[in-house]
This record gives sequence, structure tokens and C-alpha cells, in this order.
Amino acid sequence: MAAYSVSVALTGSGGAGAMTAGQILLDAASKAGYYGLMTRSMGPQIRGGEAAALLRISTKPISSLDDYYDVLVAFDWGNISRFAAELPLSKSSIVICDPEQGEVPEPIAQYGAQAAALPMKEIAGSVPGGRANMVGLGAAATLIGLPIEAVIQVLTAQLGRKGEEVLAASTAALRAGAEAAKALPAAAQLPATKHDGAERWNISGNEAAGLGALKGGIKFVAAYPITPATEVLEWLAPALDKTGGALVQAEDELASINMVIGGSFAGLPSLTATSGPGLALMTESLGLAVASETPLVLVDVMRGGPSTGIPTKSEQSDLNIAVYGLHGDAPHVVVAPTSIVDCLFTTQWAVYLAEALQTPALVLSDQAMGQSRNIVPKPAAVPYTAKRLVAEGTLEAYKRYALTESGVSPMAIPGTPGGQYVADGLEHNERGTPSSQASDHQSQMDKRFDKLTNFDYGNHWADIEGEGEIAILTWGAITGPVQEAIERAAEQGIKAKLISLRLILPASPEKMAEALKGVKKVLIVEQTHGQQFAKFLRAHYDLPQMAVVNRPGPLPIRPAEIVNRLLAWK
Amino acid sequence: MNATTQLTAADFKSDVKPIWCPGCGDYAVLSAVTKALADLGKPREDIAFVSGIGCSSRIPAYTNVYGFHGVHGRALAIAAGVKLARPDLTVLAAGGDGDGLSIGGNHFMHACRRNVDMTYIVMDNQVYGMTKGQASPTTAPDWCNSKLTPEGTGISPVEPARLALASGANFIARGFAGNLNDVARLIVEGINHPGFSFIHILSPCVTYRPEQREWKNAVHPSADASPAQLVAEAMHRLAADDGYTTGVLFAGNRPPFMPERKEKATFADIEKKFVS
Amino acid sequence: MPTDIATFLAHAVALEQEAAERYAELADAMEVHNNKEVAELFRKLSAFSKLHLDEVKAIADNYDLPQLKPWEFQWTDGESPEAAPSDRTHYMMTPYHCLQLALFNEKKGHVYYADRAHRATDPEVKKFAQLFADEEAEHVVMLEKWIATVKPPQENWDLDLDPPGDLE
Repeated sequence: MAAYSVSVALTGSGGAGAMTAGQILLDAASKAGYYGLMTRSMGPQIRGGEAAALLRISTKPISSLDDYYDVLVAFDWGNISRFAAELPLSKSSIVICDPEQGEVPEPIAQYGAQAAALPMKEIAGSVPGGRANMVGLGAAATLIGLPIEAVIQVLTAQLGRKGEEVLAASTAALRAGAEAAKALPAAAQLPATKHDGAERWNISGNEAAGLGALKGGIKFVAAYPITPATEVLEWLAPALDKTGGALVQAEDELASINMVIGGSFAGLPSLTATSGPGLALMTESLGLAVASETPLVLVDVMRGGPSTGIPTKSEQSDLNIAVYGLHGDAPHVVVAPTSIVDCLFTTQWAVYLAEALQTPALVLSDQAMGQSRNIVPKPAAVPYTAKRLVAEGTLEAYKRYALTESGVSPMAIPGTPGGQYVADGLEHNERGTPSSQASDHQSQMDKRFDKLTNFDYGNHWADIEGEGEIAILTWGAITGPVQEAIERAAEQGIKAKLISLRLILPASPEKMAEALKGVKKVLIVEQTHGQQFAKFLRAHYDLPQMAVVNRPGPLPIRPAEIVNRLLAWK
Repeated sequence: MNATTQLTAADFKSDVKPIWCPGCGDYAVLSAVTKALADLGKPREDIAFVSGIGCSSRIPAYTNVYGFHGVHGRALAIAAGVKLARPDLTVLAAGGDGDGLSIGGNHFMHACRRNVDMTYIVMDNQVYGMTKGQASPTTAPDWCNSKLTPEGTGISPVEPARLALASGANFIARGFAGNLNDVARLIVEGINHPGFSFIHILSPCVTYRPEQREWKNAVHPSADASPAQLVAEAMHRLAADDGYTTGVLFAGNRPPFMPERKEKATFADIEKKFVS
Repeated sequence: MPTDIATFLAHAVALEQEAAERYAELADAMEVHNNKEVAELFRKLSAFSKLHLDEVKAIADNYDLPQLKPWEFQWTDGESPEAAPSDRTHYMMTPYHCLQLALFNEKKGHVYYADRAHRATDPEVKKFAQLFADEEAEHVVMLEKWIATVKPPQENWDLDLDPPGDLE
């Protein structure tokens, strides 16, 4: 199969501007009609740290990084050993570096790629106001066959506001880099493409989650900042402000989840966003939401754990706490977006589910999706918005927790006459009065469990593609690399079916059994150390012969690893 | 609401019988709350009463308004969420000294600071009654009757009114359960005063602190003719306060916190920003 | 001090109302704490207070009573004189204690009305205050007789062989 994508990495430190260059390159690719994915890697410093913009540009929509970078442009080598492992290169890759910065360091040189010198600083010096990163950007674009005009178009839009001089300087540096690239060795080229004219979006997972929440009907957010979830809140704050909602910064996660419970009790669809350590703090009150049947959405943008872990890197290791972290038997909903753009659908769906089922719905996103940007076709409208079953009119002998057929009982919103009740974490009877009676505990437990299992989740429970006697079971951000692996394995004569779970809890045993008909072997792929997903699947589903590919963060799982494991089964 | 349909205090009580020990000061607080709500004349369905965990936190179940019996220490967060989501509701929060000042201490400080319009009633009996009588943050350091701290805690107690003032509460009052009509008045004033109103009520625990019977001899009205309106003045008075002064101690004028709700963009406007 | 008849009657109504409500509250509390005998006694006392209340209301119906807020009533010590003070209750209190409490209340009620009768300048106030004072005096006598028929409590009447529960 001819390569339909090219991967480029830009690195630099101390304010070199690798990230800015990367963003521009991604936008330029989109303008030129390409799709793309950009992730990033940064050092621990607040400013001036080492940074890498990691891009893959493609003729068709993609949601996975490739196995290696075709081109690495290094503005300098500051602390490169910190993320050399995230910059895999092949022998046919090209490393463009500034001779002023010295030899290619060993962690990069060991990949055996070809190195070529480009005196970016010097060239930038020859242009008034020129910066080395613009030179490098111009060179990178030209090397991979991206029309420089597309880059200039983006530059103009972005820098236009800063004045003609700044724009002129950047453009000149860009062109100088493009010119100098002609003397560089040939690199992998982007296949030619034309913009199909359809609207496409440049969006990150965190932004997509925010938009899904907004469009789902969230009107109140209380939250505490935490890496890598803060951007969900940063996006939602002005968005809510403009559309009649409100976001409040709470003093900690304990306050956040309880404010959300209060807002929801008062009638507004409410949400909070956090990461693993915050979720750990919130578990007690999530139980309160379950017991009191208070809807809420909690977005967990997972990061490396346990404890403080690796805040800036991705992992899928909050599965256990999301599913099992509440004390007692506390059924609730857990969903997981399968890609950056799916953060929009799945979060919006989560709002709908939480409200319909009067329960907390946890959305397990992760740092890889949350903080990466993706060029995607404009997402389809999502047909799910908040609709809560409320008790209306003037009520008499109102029973908040009445045992109904569906398990969902009408909720009286404060202000409704006759609907007064006390929502409680204590076990209670139908009226809501605290009760320690066996019959009440049993029936209310059944109610809270049955309401979730009686519900029709449609075919959103999983994304299923392809056919085969081998199925790959995965979830979240790993879906992208698995999809790529399946494509590549097919070229080598292996057919495999993708099953990416979107609905983690409640489990869907019948649907899974249907999806696994004819499947003889299952490969489970996940980004954890403890095989949390595999163990979860074994606990809730019947699986045929299975194998597991698992690795904790910080490194992404790449298609080649999965293909190799599939080949072992050939 | 016209005179014939005026609700009485009894109308604000539910039919659930309190589990408080006879002699508990919380009975008086319940009466005071219901008298206050009857006096205010707001419909029962427009009032939300939020509590945490502990004997005092059982109070919402004994009233006839919307209530939330949350987890230990977080009532103020729930209450803030309710009010921020529904500014039209009258929001009350209640709990004991442990729920409010131990596990709830952080939320208490921020609730005073944030100054959302609500009224918080702490029934202070200087003990953890529901879990068999441990020392609380307001217990004297030499109280030796807890099995957990048989030699006393050795730790100075916190004084709730001072803490509230330092943290920014906009209205601070102290009452004694033995004077329930006075407490009713303080609650009405607290509800009517904008911002975060803190009502500190000395409410004896007959079971674990029988010596608190003496409180009725210790409490006394303030020597000052009117509540302090400046923080500095209130701090000055509270610094010398013996902890038994009843009445309104501080009535400030900080504007309450409430985000403005505006509609000035559509979803379509917002989505445009993603177009690449 | 309430000087006009309407205000005086408003106080009288409140006095009996709060007495009745307080006894009912105590009856509930005793019931919850499985002190059946005393619960029943408090219910009886509540019913008596309710009867007195009805009597007072019948008189008060002829007047336009002011709507006083709870703290606007002029009681000697902040609370209506016949509202049983909770610090004289105990979950294991005996009928003897209960009746002593009722006696304490009735005496206070009597003193309140007697004092009103003594100080009143308005003849109507004086008349009704004296009437009610006399009735309270009768209640006192009745209660003293009743108490004489009830066993005084033994030593260790409050010995509870069960340990305290912890509930949450």
C-alpha cells in the first residue's frame, strides 16, 4: 500500500517555538486539503522547557500516530534524551539539525537515520526579525511536499493581527527555509491531494468533550484545575458564559463534585472534569450521586498513574477506579470516547445517559486524545440531549424513589409544589425516608441496577469494524492504532475484526456475544501496566482464547506492535 | 400569600420523628427554623435545606421543604451548587461542629469567602455525638471524656464566629438553643441578609456533654447596642468575646457572589471557531 | 408587657399552643426512645393543653389578635412559660419526672397570669388574667394530687444497661 501519510517531528527548547511551528504546519496541511494529527511532548518546566510537536499528515482522516517519523527537524538538542523514545525514526528518516547545535546526540543517532545540516539560526539571522523556527518550518513543509503557500496562508491569518512587520519577517524566514530545503536530501513525500471543499475542523479531545457537554445541555460546571483536564474547563468557561450557563472554580475536587450534585439536584444538567487524582477524591460523592439518583457527568482525562504519576502523559489506568472505585454496590455509567473527535459524541451521549438514568456518567478520555489536535471532517450532529424525567404539576403523596418498571422514577425539581423530598445517601424507601429494612435495600438496589441494564443503549456500546476469526478488543485512544494495525495486517493476509468498547459500564454481554460469533481468538490491546481492561473483560464477558498486548504510558502504542502480535498468530 | 393561607411553623415540620435524645438542643433549633420559615412566608417548595452527616445533619428530614442529606463535611458545597444553579431558591445549610469545622473546615472557609447568598446553621455541641462522643474542633483541650483522647486533645479549639469573620462571611450571629425564639429571629435576619450568613448556635448534647446544662447560665446578649458593620470592629469585639455572646455579631455589606447568566452566542457561533 | 386585651390574649393563645406542641414533641421523642409510659403521659398533657387552648381561642375569637412574630412575645425568660424546657427531660424519665415537669410548667403558667393580673391596668386584661391564673392554680392542685399517686423514681432510674449506639 502506498503511504498515504507523512510524519514530521519538530523539537526545540528554551522558547524555540516548536509548538507554534507545529500548530501552523497542521493548519497548513488542512488548508492544502490534508488531514492530520498533532500530539506534543513537553518538559516539566513552566516556560522555556524542551518541547516536541509530533505530527502526522495524511490524505485521509487518521486518529493514530505512525510507527516512526519521516522527518525530524531539531531547532536544538536541549534535553532530547527526555523524549527521544517518543521520536522513533527509521533508517530512511531524515534528521534536519542546526550545525551550530553540535552533533546529533546518541539517543537520536541510534535510530540510524540520515542527518542533514540546515543552519536555521544563521538563515534566520539573515532575515530581519527572522526566527529559526520559521526557517525550520519552511524547510519541513517543503521537504514533505506541502505547498509553502498553504503555510503562508495560515501565517497571514494568525500573525496578521500582530502587524505587517512581524508577518513579513516570518514569511521571509519561512521562504528562506523553503529555499534552503531544496539542497537537503529527499524525504518522504505527501501524495498530492486536493481540498474536497467540505468543512473540516481542527479540534482537540478536550475541546470536543467541552463541546459535547455544551450541546448535550450542560448548564452548570464546578471544577478544580488539574493536568491534563484543565483545557476542558478553559473551553467551557467562556462557552457557558455566552450561552446562559455558568462555570465556577471550586476550592478542591471534593467541593467540585458536591457543587455539581447540588446544581443537578436543583434541576440543571451539571458536569465536572478532572484526572485520576481528582477522581480518586470524588469517589465518595459519586456514591452519593448513585444512592440519591442524582444525574451528573464527570469527564476524567486519564494520565499516567498511580498517585501523582506522570501528569503530562497518557495512560488508560483509571479504568479500575472508574468501574470499581465507589464503595458498596454502586452501579453507574462509564463511557469512553474512541478517538479525539469521538470525545464530542461520547460526552454528549453521556449527558443524555446521565439525565435519562439519573446517575453519574463517567467519561474516560485521556491525555493523548485530550491534548492532541486532529483535523477531521465536520462531525455529524449528535442526536442526544439532556432530557430528565421530572415530576411536574402539584404533587401529592410524592414518592421520589417509586419502584417503576424502567427503574427510573420521576424527579421533583425544587420549586415543584408537593414534591418536597430529602435526597439522601442513606438507603431509603420509595418515599425517600431513610430505611435499614432488608426489603427497601433490596428493592432500591434492584432499582438502581435494573434502570441501567433495562436501558437500550443502541449500537453505541462499541465501534465494530470488519470481520474475521480474530477480534481485537480495545478502547479509548488505542482504537486508532488498532484500526491502522488491522489495515496493515490485512495486506499481509490477516483478517481481524475491531471491537472498541464505548460503553464500559453497564456491561453488554449479549451484544458482545453477538459480536464475537465466529471469533476464535481475541487480542486485547490496552495502555496499562496491570492489564485492567483484560481483567475487566474477563470479569464481565465470556471470551475465547485471548492474548494481551499491554504497556503503561508514557509512550503511545503504535500500529507495528499490534501488527507484530497479530502476525504471531498467522 | 394572604392571611388565611399563612403557613405556621407546624406546616414546615414533616411527619418524621426526630431521633435526637430528649434534651438535645437540636429540637429547639428545629422549632426555631420552622418558626423562622413560617415568618418569612416563602412557599415550602422554594426552599432547599442541605446537610452533611451527624446528629444535627438529620434536620432536613424533619422539615417539609426540599432537602439534601449529603456526605460528611460537604453540605456547603452542595448548597452552593443548588444556589448557583437556582438563584430563585432560598438555600439553607446545617450541620454540627464536626461536620462543619473538621472535615468541612476547608469548605467552610471558602463558603464564607465566596459569599454565595445562603444561610448556614451550625449546631455546636463541642462533641461528635453520632459516633459516641469524640472531641470536635470546638472542644476544649482538657475535656477528658472521650475514649479516643482520654487525656484530652491538648489542642486549642477553633472559635467558629472568628473563623467565619476572618474568612469573609457577610453575616455572623450566635444563638443558644435554650432561647429558641431568639434563634428564630437570628435565622430570619440571616436569611434576609444578602451573602453568606453564618448562625452559630450553642446546642447542648445531653448525652455526651451533660455539663452543657450550664450554658444557660453562661450565655448573655452582646453589650454592644448594634452589630458591628466593619470587619475591623467585629474582629476587635470577637477577640475579646467569651464565646457565649448571643445576637448578631457582624452584618457586612459584601456583594453576594452569583455569576451573571447571559445569552449572547449560539452553538453555531461557537462551533465556527473549530473550522479549519 | 402586653397591656391591651388583644395582645394579652395573643399571648395566652401562644402559651397554650406552645405547651401543646412541646408536649406532643416530647411524646414523639419518648415514643422514638421506647419510653411508652411517659410518651402516653405527654400525649395526655398535650391533649389537656389543647383543651385549654380551645377554651382560650373561644374567648380570643371575639377579638382581633395581633400577628406577633415568635420573638415579639414578651415572655419573662424568652420562651412561653408552659413550654416544657428540654433540659428537664431524659429518655428514661419516669412518669413521676414527667408529672413534676408538668407541675413546674403549670406553676410557671400560674405565676405568669397572676403577675399579669396583678400588674394589669386594663380591666379586661385583669379579668382574664385572673381567670386564667385561677385555672392554672386548679391545674397545679390537680397535678399535685396526681403526682401523689405515682411512684417516685428509684435510685439508678437512669441506669441504661445498653451501650450507646453509633449510627453513621
